[in-house]
Amino acid sequence: MSERPTPEELAEAIEEFLAGEILPTLDDHRARFRMLVALNALGIVRRELAKLPPEGDAEPRELAARIRAGDVPRGTLARVKTDVEARLRIASPHYLERYEAE
Amino acid sequence: MIADMREALEAVLGPISEPVLLPGGASKEAWAVDGGGQRLLVRRAGGGVIHRHTLSLRDEFEVLRAAHEAGVKVPQPVLYIEELSGREAFVMERIAGETIGRRIVQRPELAAARDALPRQLAEQLARIHAIPLERVPFLREAGFERMVDELDEVGEPHPAIELGLWWLREHRPAQRAPVVCHGDFRIGNVAVDEHGLVGVLDWEFAHLDDPARDLAFGLVRAWRFGRDDLRLGGVGDVEPYLERYNELTGFDVQPEELDYWELAGNVAWAVGCLTQAQRHLTGQDRSVELAILGRLGAEVEYEICHLLERQGVS
Repeated sequence: MSERPTPEELAEAIEEFLAGEILPTLDDHRARFRMLVALNALGIVRRELAKLPPEGDAEPRELAARIRAGDVPRGTLARVKTDVEARLRIASPHYLERYEAE
Repeated sequence: MIADMREALEAVLGPISEPVLLPGGASKEAWAVDGGGQRLLVRRAGGGVIHRHTLSLRDEFEVLRAAHEAGVKVPQPVLYIEELSGREAFVMERIAGETIGRRIVQRPELAAARDALPRQLAEQLARIHAIPLERVPFLREAGFERMVDELDEVGEPHPAIELGLWWLREHRPAQRAPVVCHGDFRIGNVAVDEHGLVGVLDWEFAHLDDPARDLAFGLVRAWRFGRDDLRLGGVGDVEPYLERYNELTGFDVQPEELDYWELAGNVAWAVGCLTQAQRHLTGQDRSVELAILGRLGAEVEYEICHLLERQGVS
């Protein structure tokens, strides 16, 4: 599933933040130099990511439309929850631990 | 820019200290100044696009005044300024008190405050819900159809949010007559000192709605700031809060209604995460904090699944 922001868009957001808000506050020459190097490296990551073929979202799109139409057979929640868990393992891996005590 | 601000403010307030821009949102600025022996806060429109579904500063100031008149603990409203260095603004008291959610739920010196908060929150909300509708005639009703519209505008498929909306449609409780709602009543939007609540802040989402919805919004897990075992905003249990609220209002809100509206609050926040990320993606407000919300919304979607499971959905 192609989630927004995509990895490329996230890399771009970090670059903008570091270049626009952090770099101007760095007075130390060494720190400035290393920040510029880090920004170059991040630019490489972003351009690599831009070359990847976009992931399709046909499957979640169809599922979302079916649920919207009220077509919710048994097992729908289990399937949806499994997908959300997979996304969370990328976006916020520790979050699932908060449910372990319950 | 600070010199302009100071000059413009001094024209209406008299001599003041140098304005200090406080960290925070791109859509609205907050400036701290002292003048006339008072600690003041100036809320001023930001440079970006004004968001739909939030009040103008003029209307927000009017709601703040109405809440103050109704005896709600709010910063004292001072004045509305139609044009302050080119943008609208208002001035209010700058109250002391902790507003950072994580600190409110964790700091040892706020333990007594946490004990007091459930009943205090209920008391403030009861007063808000008693504000006469005719005092704030510009407020609009905001049913949950708005969530569907906002989700469709984002245009991304989110089956978990759809499931939440589906369940909410199928199980809608009897609707109550709309009252004045704060719209974002939760830990994070109140100021707290060691004795408890000192001010209800951030009125830009005020609207007319079922009071049970406003009452349940503070239960949403995202506003427990890691203290997930304390369902009311990470500070306490729901029972004393609900009991005190019902005692004061006579609305007789049932625990099942809170369950329903807690789920609705999660759906609203899941959609909110996506619309915040859109502000970054569309270039309205470029910010890494807004961007990442597009991904952290998965946490809220997981909570929606968890709550649906508890309702017996499979």
